[in-house]
Amino acid sequence: MPTKGIDYRTISLRDALDLAVLIEEEAKERYLELADQMELHHTPDAEGFFRFMADNEDKHRVELLERRHKLFDHQPSGVTREQLFDVEAPDYSEARVFMTPREALETALRSETKAWTFFDKVLPQLVDLGVRGLFEELRAEEVHHQELVRRELAKLPPDDAFCHEDFADEPVGQD
Amino acid sequence: MTLTAKDFKSDLKPIWCPGCGDFGVVQAMYRALAAIGRPPHEIAFVSGIGCSSRIPGYTTAYGFNSVHGRALPIAQGIKLARPQLLVLAAGGDGDGFSIGGGHVPHAIRRNMDITYVVMDNQIYGLTKGQLSPTSPRGLQTVTSVGGSLEQPINPLLYVLAYGAGFVAQGTPADMAGLTAVIEEAIRYPGFAFVNVQSPCVTYGQENQQIKAHREQMKTLASLGHDATNMAAALARAQHYGSELYTGVFYKNPQPPQTFEAQARERQTQLGPSARPRDRILDMFRQQ
Repeated sequence: MPTKGIDYRTISLRDALDLAVLIEEEAKERYLELADQMELHHTPDAEGFFRFMADNEDKHRVELLERRHKLFDHQPSGVTREQLFDVEAPDYSEARVFMTPREALETALRSETKAWTFFDKVLPQLVDLGVRGLFEELRAEEVHHQELVRRELAKLPPDDAFCHEDFADEPVGQD
Repeated sequence: MTLTAKDFKSDLKPIWCPGCGDFGVVQAMYRALAAIGRPPHEIAFVSGIGCSSRIPGYTTAYGFNSVHGRALPIAQGIKLARPQLLVLAAGGDGDGFSIGGGHVPHAIRRNMDITYVVMDNQIYGLTKGQLSPTSPRGLQTVTSVGGSLEQPINPLLYVLAYGAGFVAQGTPADMAGLTAVIEEAIRYPGFAFVNVQSPCVTYGQENQQIKAHREQMKTLASLGHDATNMAAALARAQHYGSELYTGVFYKNPQPPQTFEAQARERQTQLGPSARPRDRILDMFRQQ
C-alpha cells in the first residue's frame, strides 16, 4: 500500500478529499522534478511532456481543493503528505537520459495505471458512502486519463532501435 | 511547529543521472527528518566524495561536502564540538568502505550519536564505473575487464563485527521501509548505520535496479527476525549479495553511553582543576 497510517474503513470525506489533493500534489511535484532532470540532460521533448503532465495534475489538485473548501471550509486536515509514497507520482526509477516522447508517455501511463490500482484496492475497504462515491469517481478518472495517454501514444511513430542510453552524456557540472 | 519533508528540501536541483536510486534516498531522508521534528538549523549533514555525497547540498540542513572518505571524522568532530546538533553522515560504498574504510571501525567503537547512511551501488559511478569495495566477484568493469577477482566487502557484517549498536538496510524500491529505518537510525542514541542499496542506473548491473529490488527484497520483519539478537543479525547479514533483506538487522536493546556524554562527564570532573585557556601553554613550560 503506498500510504501509511490511514484507516480506510473510518476515513472521513474531508480526509479523503485531502488525500486526493495530496495525491495530485505529489504527482505534480514529481513530474516537475522529472522535467528538471530532462532539462538538465538536454531532453526537451520529454521535459515538455512532463511539464504538461505537471500542469494537468495541478489542475486536478485545484479542482479537488475547491470542492474540499466548499464542503469543509478550512477545517484542519487529518492526513499529511508524509503518509503518501508515490501513489500517482511516477517512480524516480522511470526516468532515463534522452527519454523519447514515447518513453515519457509510457511513464505517465504506468503512473495512471498505478493510481487506478490504488483506488481499486482501497474501494472494498470503504464504508462511508460519500468516500466510496469519491473514490469511484477518482478511479474512473484514472481510466479516462489512461485513454488520453494511449491516444497520444498511438499518434507517435515507433521508437527506432537506437539505444539512447548508450550515447548519453555523463553527469554534468552545476553552476 | 510541525515540519514537513519540504522543509528539508533545498533549492539546488540534483544533478544525478535520471533514474538514480539516490533520488529516492534523499526523499526518504527528508521524510525521516520531518518525522524527527528537529528544524534544519539543528542538523548537520556531512559527506565525503561521490555521487551520493552531493546529498548535503540538497537539504536545508547545515552541510559539509568534505573530502574523500572523511565524512565520519568530520561528523565526529562536529558532534563533539556541538553535541546538541543532530549529525548525519552520508556517502557511497567506495567512500565508506575503501577510502574511508579505516574510519568506520573507530567511529563505531567511539560510539558517538551519529547516523551514517551509505548508498551502496557496488560501483564507482562518479568516476565512470570502476570496481568498488562492494562490487561482486566476477563483475566486469572498466578496471576489471576480465571480471573482478576480489571478494566484496560485506558492509553489514563489517559494522556488526565492530559492534555497531544499530544496523539496518533499505532500498528506494520500498520508500516507506527506507524512511522508517532512517528515522529509527536517527532516533537510536549512538552510532547507527544504514546500508541503502541505491542502484547506479548508468554503470550498475541490471539485477541491481529498482525493478529487480522490488522482486528480490524480503523484509526482516516478515521473516520474524529478532533485531535484539546479535547472532541472528550476523546470520542474516552473511547473505549480503545473495539476498536483499530490508529492515533492522540489529538494535542494541541497552545502548551504551555515547562518547560525547562521557566526554562531558570527564570535562565536568576535571573542570575545577583545569587551566584556563589562556594558560594552556604553561603545560609545556619548565616549572
